[in-house]
Amino acid sequence: MKMQRRDFIKAAAGAGAVALGGCASVGGSHGPNVVIVGGGFGGATAAKYIKLWAPHINVTLVERNAEFISCPISNLVLGGTQTLKDMTVGYETLAKKYGINVIRGEASAVDAEKKVVRLASGDTLPFDRVILSPGVDFIYEDLPGLNNADAQARVLHAWKAGPQTVALRKQLVDMKDGGVVAISIPVAPYRCPPGPYERACQIASYLKQAKPKSKVIILDANPDVTSKPGLFKKAWADMYAGIVEYRGNSKVVDVDVKTMRAKLEVADDVQADVLNVLPPMKAGAIATPFITANKRWCEVNWLTYEAKNVPGVHLLGDALQIAPAMPKSGHMANAHGKACAAAVVALLAGEQPNSAPILTNTCYSFVSADKVVHVASVHKYDEKDKTMKAVPGAGGVSSASSELEGQYAMTWAKNIWADTLG
Amino acid sequence: MFFKLRIVAAGCALACFIPSGVAVAQAPASPPAPPAPAFAASNLSAVGVRAMAATCAACHGTNGLSVGGAVPSLAGINREYFLNQIKAFREGKRDATIMQQLAKGYTEAEVAALGDYFSAQKR
Repeated sequence: MKMQRRDFIKAAAGAGAVALGGCASVGGSHGPNVVIVGGGFGGATAAKYIKLWAPHINVTLVERNAEFISCPISNLVLGGTQTLKDMTVGYETLAKKYGINVIRGEASAVDAEKKVVRLASGDTLPFDRVILSPGVDFIYEDLPGLNNADAQARVLHAWKAGPQTVALRKQLVDMKDGGVVAISIPVAPYRCPPGPYERACQIASYLKQAKPKSKVIILDANPDVTSKPGLFKKAWADMYAGIVEYRGNSKVVDVDVKTMRAKLEVADDVQADVLNVLPPMKAGAIATPFITANKRWCEVNWLTYEAKNVPGVHLLGDALQIAPAMPKSGHMANAHGKACAAAVVALLAGEQPNSAPILTNTCYSFVSADKVVHVASVHKYDEKDKTMKAVPGAGGVSSASSELEGQYAMTWAKNIWADTLG
Repeated sequence: MFFKLRIVAAGCALACFIPSGVAVAQAPASPPAPPAPAFAASNLSAVGVRAMAATCAACHGTNGLSVGGAVPSLAGINREYFLNQIKAFREGKRDATIMQQLAKGYTEAEVAALGDYFSAQKR
């Protein structure tokens, strides 16, 4: 008797969940429609939090990849202590638990007047509000020798975690002992300020044990290390002396793939066995009509995340023209996603958006297989300047690298993946 | 002779660039400190606090439910304990790597509202 009752309750709950999922995925039958383009830290978080806070809103998430692969932690694949599988999360929970309509596809354009997103497949998705979280595209036009598919297959960016991360790892494994790895960093702002320096540490960590005669040369277009400079320089001096060589003011302006040479603006070419070039970056293609800053980034209203030039279109994540001291990071995109979700929920209910949004940021960097440093900040809305500003006296960096922070970093990763997709 | 003339000409060119009647520039003072930010008043409404609490979720889990590991859940936390810990972080009395820095980003009223919020979340 007891068993039967319990089974009946389970079955009823299951049927309820299915019915709810089915209803939500129809879209447009009740409630307003929100279409989100880009299922990374920004877009996926916005999708989930809109459903958490306003389940009656129909949310459609368009994402080109089958699974989410985290950029944070992915430098550990280069160091050899993690595989991509360790940082890959599916979109099933967003669909099943929250009733989000997840579409795998390529969004080709946003028609803000007709209020539809056009997909490359020819389908259109009507919306009341649209959120674009397209991440970054690379400006290969600035590096003529790399501006073709063959060259890009040889000289990798590995700045979007995925096949390129695995391919770069293979180049490192295949390299001879005594080889030179050169990493080039574009002028800031670019995605993930500390990422290239963490990458240098991870590659050096691998080379130190596997190919100790090898070198890592960092060619930084910026005058100095752009994030956690003291901590990274200490790691290079303490752990990777003779392996890591840092060169500031070393802007790469072209690449000769045949001879594997990076051409610098004001110094001799650098020849390398493995060239890892991070090209200059701009907002992802779908956001192009909303680029208003330096022909690269999208300015937004920080209370609503609406494009400065087209209200009604929301933008977030790395595509944004950053506010002072705001990094282009996964954590920040996750924070944008929630602030934008709150604004969209309010606006669709005819209410005022939050007058005092708060964003936090935490970026952990692995300087070895297990030692980690962080930078953290809290950002609040400045009414006078209408922008987000870091709270004075709050935030900061690690006093030193530690294994304890390594444990925090891994837990941070698991929690933010779950907060974004689970 | 020719050489000398050129030097004279160069000297003249230089002198001509110095505007007459302008006092010698003062040595620049050290740059003024940036003005204090004009932060919006805290939004302590229900949706304001919900959005504020979401800033903790990236590390402590959605609604304060951590997936485990080194970062604790905040959901269902004892309110007084929460307030005391944040105070200890802010005053540097509890050892931490990051929470001493983040705790200083929130006002006392915001911390109190977060204590109400997280203590009311189901664990």
